[in-house]
Amino acid sequence: MNGYVEAGYVVILGTLGTYAVTLVARERATRRRIDGAPTTAQGPSREAADTSALPQLGAEEPGPRLS
Amino acid sequence: MSTASHPARTDRATLALRGLGAVALAGVAATVWLGLFVTPPDEFMGNLVRLLYVHPPMAWVAFLAYGMAGLASVFYLWPRTRAERFDRLAGASAEVGVVFTGLTLVSGSIWGRPTWGAWWVWDPLLTTTALLFVLYLGYLALRRVPGDFHARARRSAIAALVAFVDVPIVYFSVDWWRSLHQAPTINLITHKTYVHGSMAWTLLLGFVSFTLVYIWLVAHRYRLAKLQDREETEGLEVALAERRAEAVAG
Repeated sequence: MNGYVEAGYVVILGTLGTYAVTLVARERATRRRIDGAPTTAQGPSREAADTSALPQLGAEEPGPRLS
Repeated sequence: MSTASHPARTDRATLALRGLGAVALAGVAATVWLGLFVTPPDEFMGNLVRLLYVHPPMAWVAFLAYGMAGLASVFYLWPRTRAERFDRLAGASAEVGVVFTGLTLVSGSIWGRPTWGAWWVWDPLLTTTALLFVLYLGYLALRRVPGDFHARARRSAIAALVAFVDVPIVYFSVDWWRSLHQAPTINLITHKTYVHGSMAWTLLLGFVSFTLVYIWLVAHRYRLAKLQDREETEGLEVALAERRAEAVAG
């Protein structure tokens, strides 16, 4: 083989891996901030009312966890 | 109905997403193994053909992502189906599409250097693909302009549809103009293929695996966007409650 082929695979897999890890880390950090933030007794937020579709993708989770 | 009241369904969804991630990862690993170590070198391209097991799937996923963003934008603009989830889905899909478009350009450039003798040529396909990349970067920038949620979502949806016009131009550019770039390895219109045997199966596996990666990434990006929106809304509610409490105490 030659260096071009290896470079192509490294760039693709490295970029996708980094992006995936970053997404999961940001999701976890945001969830942690929400769980730790003070809440009001104002009832469900706009987001809580907007979960009728794509339930699997946007599902609420009970605690800070990754998938 | 809120999914917050359905923890069992939530757990199933999370498990399904984990399963999808595992299958996608296994598929990508198999594609890399077959592409690098099992399939034979090409008669003309030699080992460089191995880049073609990952480069066309990058382009396919980018098209798919922009198609999904366009469809979600149509659903958002259509009054009967207008919902925040479609705006969020469009944003998530477009962001993942930009990543895959960037990888299409870079992997194509790495393939072009030894094949054409240049990292970049102003070929119609390359140029329209670079334009696609810039258009959707602009779309993502537009989404970050602060303002009323629905006004921002509406203009973003229109921008997504305008940007999508470039997708068929990219795909058909090799037919419409004289191009250095070869014709598609698998023609989506005529279903004609230019690879066979283990090379065809490896390419097909690459398409399927990276499509699963796309779904997994969009799902996580969607969840992140939803959490960010919720964080913003709850933060606003807390601030308002504090102001009200201060007003009552004062």
